[in-house]
Amino acid sequence: MNELNKQIKIYNTAKNMRLIIWIFVLIFILLIGYLFYSISTFGERWFLTPYNPRISSAKSNIAAGSILDRSGVKLAYTSNGNRKYAENASARKAVSHVVGDTYGLTRGAESFFSKQLYGFDDNIIDRVEQAIKGNTRQGNDITLTISASLSKTIAEKISKGAAVVMNYKTGEILACVSVPGFDPTKLEDFHDDNESTILFNRATMGKYAPGSIFKVITATAVLESTISEDFEVECTGSIEIEGKTISCAGGTSHGKVNLNRAFDKSCNVYFSTVAQKLGGATLQKTAERYAFNDEFLFSDIILYKSIYEQSHDNFTLASAGFGQYDTLITPLHACLIAAAVANGGNMPVPVLLKNETSAGGSDLYTMKSKTYIAPISKSVADKLKSMMLSVVENGTGTNAAISGKKVAGKTGTAQYVDKNGEMKENAWFIGFLDDEKYPYCVSVIVENGGSGGKNAAPIAKTALSAALKLKD
Amino acid sequence: MNDVFETVAYISRYWFVFVILVILIGLIIVSVGEYRRKRKAKTAKENAEFEEYEEEHEYSEEYIEEYSNEYEKAPEKREIKSFITKGSAGIIIFLMCLFVLSAFTLLTFANESFDINAIALGLGICFAIVVLYLVLKKIYPSVDRFTFIIPMFLTAIGLVLQYRLSQEYGVKQFIWFGVGIVAMFIAIEVIRRIKSFGKLNYLFATVCLGLLCSTLIFSRSIGGAKNWLEIAGFSIQPSEFGKILFIIVSAYFFSNKRKPRVFMPYVIFSVVSVLILVVAKDLGAALLYALTFIVMLYAATGKKLLTLGAVGTMGVGAVIAYYLFPHVKTRVDIWQDPWAVHQDSGYQIVQGLMAIASGSFLGMGLTLGYPSVIPAARTDFIFAVVCEEFGIIFGIAVIAFYLLIIIRGAIIALNAKTMFDQLLVFGVTAMLSLQCFIIIGGVIKLIPLTGITLPFLSYGGSSMVSCMILLGIMQGVAIKSEARQ
Repeated sequence: MNELNKQIKIYNTAKNMRLIIWIFVLIFILLIGYLFYSISTFGERWFLTPYNPRISSAKSNIAAGSILDRSGVKLAYTSNGNRKYAENASARKAVSHVVGDTYGLTRGAESFFSKQLYGFDDNIIDRVEQAIKGNTRQGNDITLTISASLSKTIAEKISKGAAVVMNYKTGEILACVSVPGFDPTKLEDFHDDNESTILFNRATMGKYAPGSIFKVITATAVLESTISEDFEVECTGSIEIEGKTISCAGGTSHGKVNLNRAFDKSCNVYFSTVAQKLGGATLQKTAERYAFNDEFLFSDIILYKSIYEQSHDNFTLASAGFGQYDTLITPLHACLIAAAVANGGNMPVPVLLKNETSAGGSDLYTMKSKTYIAPISKSVADKLKSMMLSVVENGTGTNAAISGKKVAGKTGTAQYVDKNGEMKENAWFIGFLDDEKYPYCVSVIVENGGSGGKNAAPIAKTALSAALKLKD
Repeated sequence: MNDVFETVAYISRYWFVFVILVILIGLIIVSVGEYRRKRKAKTAKENAEFEEYEEEHEYSEEYIEEYSNEYEKAPEKREIKSFITKGSAGIIIFLMCLFVLSAFTLLTFANESFDINAIALGLGICFAIVVLYLVLKKIYPSVDRFTFIIPMFLTAIGLVLQYRLSQEYGVKQFIWFGVGIVAMFIAIEVIRRIKSFGKLNYLFATVCLGLLCSTLIFSRSIGGAKNWLEIAGFSIQPSEFGKILFIIVSAYFFSNKRKPRVFMPYVIFSVVSVLILVVAKDLGAALLYALTFIVMLYAATGKKLLTLGAVGTMGVGAVIAYYLFPHVKTRVDIWQDPWAVHQDSGYQIVQGLMAIASGSFLGMGLTLGYPSVIPAARTDFIFAVVCEEFGIIFGIAVIAFYLLIIIRGAIIALNAKTMFDQLLVFGVTAMLSLQCFIIIGGVIKLIPLTGITLPFLSYGGSSMVSCMILLGIMQGVAIKSEARQ
């Protein structure tokens, strides 16, 4: 009796133990799975943090490869163990944020492509060959998609801000300028005093209120909704929502406006009205389809997250409708949105690394174009395109027009409160060339630049005209 | 010369990953094959035995009815002897030696000088493992080879990395390994001779609490936690030895007194142990003790509500600790975003993650990484070093080895003949697996980091010796079960 009792007890504990062992097996599989997932997703980024001591130590015994621009201009190279940069000081500054520095202060190509530049990705044969020859280990050379001359042209036009020019079909970044830039040759004793923001890459890390360029997204939501394009709003220059006033730029009253006219004139009253009609959820969904709140783990470039906050009442929803509220966007992301409209609804993955060649001259890598996401359908993209063409033709963006070319765009004038409590305005412009041969899009922000149509659109025009002259 | 060495070290990473995968796959194939064969052979024998058993014992119908339900639910009890046949064990040990020797050969040529000690240590390790294996087989023919071979391999990997991190500590660790072997033999002998420790358990409980308290009173603080005790020039970590007593006491109480009201003194003992560790800021050990307690509670009683209650209490305790102790809150905050504080409080974990990421899948190559920048590289963060130099495929194989030990431990537990033995081995297995999970999970940022050693790999005399004792307990029970058949 007692014997059986004992046996049954053991059987029961055995059952319990089996369950627990299964749980252990599961948590160990979770451990393995998480390790695999986190390294394959974030491994590259974690390795490439500028303060990774492995990279700084590689610098001491490996001759880093050269960084070239798309036409072969040397942006950075190693000569006799010293790192040298482009001759021309203003060109050096114009590409400084893309190229980066060797001290690990910024996250440009010097640190982000250190795997290539210091030959961490060398294949065995190359390594054995170099070891046998007894050479100092040589990193690989990389060619970037940017053009130094285009970057310089753009940088000279911007007082403070950022601009991005991109090929919307291939995703190649032709220029990614952040002003003020820095001189990589004068960073040795640099101390960041938080006052100078020269090390800060405004194009990829700067988060700005989008202002009226966000109307592209609100317009998308309208086009996809049941609201008719001919739905009209009577604009008297301002509108009162929940006791607060929303007004159009300069208090101009636009009269009766439908979607096309409101987009042309950048009418805040129209967009705040339709935002309320659309509802917070729809607007947020549309914004997130355009990659707001997205982590952007691109392999070529670090792009900070753009933010769309959930609105919590009608006033914030209405403000979000024309890009005020708490919405924030990076200039590169703004350029990607223009690219999606221009490219029939497909947002390309931004490409910065054009190709990589070993010290021996063999090709190790050539860029591939990919679609990142497709936020909108072709038909919506085409409608938006014609609206944006009209903005440059006879709306707020006429200053961006280039004779003989079809230019599309959207201006923005985003209000913000600076640290002294003063109300300032950032000038925005996003746009593109509607041209099969020159598929270039652009985004420009001028900090404290006032009206987007007056001060950002001309820079976009300069940038696109200069891009048209590029050889390939 | 230097470049040639670096190139060789770089290429050798393929070799190390290859060897560990061969060993891992070999172990899995052999074990699965053996498992199937034994199972077939046993089922026939078991059925006959069971019928015989039933004929011998006749019970009143009432009694049988009462238990028949549970009886049906109980899975058939299987006997699985040693998985590995002599031949395959030999091959696996040969591969292990090959791994150790090639690694130490590489270390011999590191630092641009011929370091004869490295190759000597490599040979010493191989010699120790082979001799130990033969001796163990000779004295205890029924020794569980699985639970011996895997920990030896892990220890060997540990010794390679310890020597690579610091030659002095590598040699020290080898000495601790020797001490651990002696401790293992003592543990095997003690466990196979005794039935249960009886009233001695009250003494054990007192000693355990005494050990845990001792750090509070005498210790100096290392890394913010008070968990070291300095005696005659040696730093010892009492919580490592407390673990063993804790498991023995748990097994005793749960095997004899399975009604919640009766084992109340034991519950108080467990709670007090955990509280002492929390006060000593040894959060890793506190978590380990608490989880082991809960796991054993469920294994022994099978009471779901009681177990959930214990989990709930622990959860509430953790929440209170979060708000009460700033260092607990810091740990959780770091876990959420270590990169935001990479220069101060998150420095360690960020360095660890960077090391793992730098190793990527195949590793940077032995001696080519920079593990010295990781705080506590040789102890808590040894897993990051493994991943940096050997790659995460190797790291995953290491996790798989721990998993094999767990499964093997579970099988020994299921085959044990008494409740005490069963719970003892189960407690050991549970503690080893939880310990691995807590520290590896912490290092790879799956869970908040709480400092604790990684069994067999981390540097530390206390950790090494206590792990070998735990291994001895498993072996002791395995030998005892076989002998009683």
